[in-house]
Amino acid sequence: MTQLLAARAGKITPEMERVAAGENVDVELIRQGIASGKIVIPRNINRKEFNFCGIGEGLRIKVNALIGTSSNVDDLAMEERKLAFVEDAGCDAMMDLSTGGDIDGMRRLCLEKANIAVGCVPVYQAAIEAIEKRGAIVAMTADDMFAAVEKQAADGVDFMAIHSALNFDVIRRLQATGRVTDVVSRGGSFLTAWMLHNNRENPLYEQFDRLLEILKKYDVTLSLGDAIRPGSTADSLDAAQLQGLIVAGELVTRAQAAGVQVMVEGPGHVPMHHVEATMLLQKRLCNQAPYFILGTLATDVAPGYDHITSAIGGAIAGAAGADFLCYVTPAEHLGLPTEQDVKEGVMAARIAAHAADLARGNKRAWDRDLQMAKARVALDMEKQISLSLDPEKVKAALGAEDGQHHCAACGPEGECAAQVAARYFGIA
Amino acid sequence: MTQLENAIKGTVTPEMDTVAAREGVAPEVIRQGVAEGIIVIPRNIRRQNIVPTGIGTGLRTKVSASIGVYGHKGSIDIETAKIKAAVEAGTDAIMDLSVSGDIDAMRKESLSATSTPLGTLPMYQAVAEAAQKYGSSVKLEVEQLFEVIERQAADGIDFLALHAGTTMAIVEQAKKEGRVDPLVSYGGSHLIGWMLYNKQENPLFEHYDRVLEIARKYDVTISIADGMRPGCLADSLDGAQVQELVVIGELVRRAREAGVQIMVKGPGHVPLNQLKATVTLQKSLCKGAPYFVFGPIVTDIAAGYDHISAAIGGAITAWAGAEFICYVTASEHIGLPDIDQVREGVVASRIAAHAADIAKGLPGAADWDLELSRARKELDWDKQIELSVDPKRADYMRKTRSDDTVKGCAMCGKYCAMDVVSKYLGTSKVTC
Repeated sequence: MTQLLAARAGKITPEMERVAAGENVDVELIRQGIASGKIVIPRNINRKEFNFCGIGEGLRIKVNALIGTSSNVDDLAMEERKLAFVEDAGCDAMMDLSTGGDIDGMRRLCLEKANIAVGCVPVYQAAIEAIEKRGAIVAMTADDMFAAVEKQAADGVDFMAIHSALNFDVIRRLQATGRVTDVVSRGGSFLTAWMLHNNRENPLYEQFDRLLEILKKYDVTLSLGDAIRPGSTADSLDAAQLQGLIVAGELVTRAQAAGVQVMVEGPGHVPMHHVEATMLLQKRLCNQAPYFILGTLATDVAPGYDHITSAIGGAIAGAAGADFLCYVTPAEHLGLPTEQDVKEGVMAARIAAHAADLARGNKRAWDRDLQMAKARVALDMEKQISLSLDPEKVKAALGAEDGQHHCAACGPEGECAAQVAARYFGIA
Repeated sequence: MTQLENAIKGTVTPEMDTVAAREGVAPEVIRQGVAEGIIVIPRNIRRQNIVPTGIGTGLRTKVSASIGVYGHKGSIDIETAKIKAAVEAGTDAIMDLSVSGDIDAMRKESLSATSTPLGTLPMYQAVAEAAQKYGSSVKLEVEQLFEVIERQAADGIDFLALHAGTTMAIVEQAKKEGRVDPLVSYGGSHLIGWMLYNKQENPLFEHYDRVLEIARKYDVTISIADGMRPGCLADSLDGAQVQELVVIGELVRRAREAGVQIMVKGPGHVPLNQLKATVTLQKSLCKGAPYFVFGPIVTDIAAGYDHISAAIGGAITAWAGAEFICYVTASEHIGLPDIDQVREGVVASRIAAHAADIAKGLPGAADWDLELSRARKELDWDKQIELSVDPKRADYMRKTRSDDTVKGCAMCGKYCAMDVVSKYLGTSKVTC
């Protein structure tokens, strides 16, 4: 039985209990959230014991990291280091997006080593294997796609990005209105090419019930891939994107009815003044399903700093209702991220998520910031280190401080005016 | 005659012409904005080699970088190098916030190292000199403070940060209210301590007309610094901050009446959901005076990454109407920035400013994005790099994170989405 079916039957699972305890909320709230589709707990029944999390309304905003090999860089050892690292850095989930080398091996490594929810994009593997077996992505068969889904689900993958919400209505809309950057989703591009080449409807859309059956069997959470997300701020909230969102909404309803947990992936490049409307539309059209956001990137012009453009958009999106933030690294648009890039990306996304949690009035988030403020006033270095997002970095910088008041102007002797003020306020 | 006095009289100055040309608007728009006090052009009449910059309503959001000698490890050479790095990274203004060493000499270096407007905070030097002269900063004499203000103005400083609104009543309010962090601003803390020790009202408030006289003489733009800016989220929009803003609104009115250009400095640590209200309050109380915001950072716990926290807050605040963003570096709260952190801080602020300009619908702002996105679609790497906010870094990262074997980048390798789909859509010269 999936978490959704259990919740709907009024049953409280051990997973719900643990999520409730971790979030410090009533377990009945979690059950109701799952039953109504507003909360998901990605956790494949075949997955080993791990630190799963709840994603959705009323919960702390979660952060996802992307790792994986590419056709150019398939350094398994580096990806393994990234894997350990994203977990240490505080990610709640990760996706293995491998398209190069031993894809099965990389996935199994992730599922084995990671102690957080693991997601995949099965169509990547299906497409890459179609090239090997059949000579081209467009020669991939529908059975290839479903076989990849089944294989990955059986392996224990907790959530899957699947681009079912792409059909000919969406493509025709795209062709009719035109776009600056067309399709920037890799999975979306494979399927668009496949559909146009074969002049056939997207099997993941057409045979959606077949997909749901597999996902239900393993309680894989469906993450509806956004094939048509805007790749430039100019394309944000255009007709093609909205057409895709309408289709996603229909599929959300069908997935929920079938007892499959579902969330929706979204933007992309979005100017700040579009973010709130984007969140509102998704929640409205997709029956309040959790929204999993890439970025959002507030401008197109900052390659090398897209972790920052994403932190801006992600914070606003989170405050406006996004539940799950996918990180973006400084290497976005330029190449495959190094470990340092991954670290910067995770930290930026966590800052955005935390800023949004504060904006939403999350009590734990507020308490942590208050403790930090008090530690600063008290010049308590140890507490400042332990309360910070990246204790090691702060420790390296503050380690040499002695916790005493020093004034660069006044020097060690004589009365420092700032100290007089501190005594007045009782904080000297 | 100051820019403000000229504008009120109907005269378009060469500075207004330059600002208009740089912004792509009519000089009359600038003149009117300056006359109303919603635009300032910080430019001391004695300042040499400056490119006049306008700050205010309807103009591109500007960015300022702070440097300065602090403590015995600081040196004029290092700080000058930081100025050059900040300017290269695209800052619109510099503040020299030196608190120790040869402050006069540093200021002169700063003036010659940049052609952007330069600001200072005279209280720092006044405090340092009092400590040197009398052994304690509480012994600072009012005359001496005004002598420092005049000295810095006479040197050609374009804008002066002054805590003229931090009155005794506000200090008492902060204590009564139990502010978590009542002493955030370095200059403000010393000023408050001086007031308490000497049991005297803030001299910058009490003798505000004298401040205005000096400012008018050199056409120095006053930047009212806030002693009660929130130093943690919990203190944001508390009574002390708002009360000070009320007083500042009054100081804005008086400055304008005296023909002195003025802008208002603000937050600090502000939760994301209070940013818009903060700007609305400032705009209302200060009658549209340009708002110069530090950060704001949106969480207290991101030490080591406060440039990112500040980019979030700065973008939203500028979108809400703040026109001038003071950068925050990654070393905020944990040390002094090195050159790389200065550079990164400037770029983070520029990203925030530009994101805000797009959201505000500033004419032309989105064109930059459109051009770069088209280059991206065409996989025109030279153009993408050239159009990047920091071409050097984009180029370096492209070279170190990808190789030349693919048209796209190593992220997707040969499976570049744009490449895969373009031939079927028939939309391109190709690809991402």
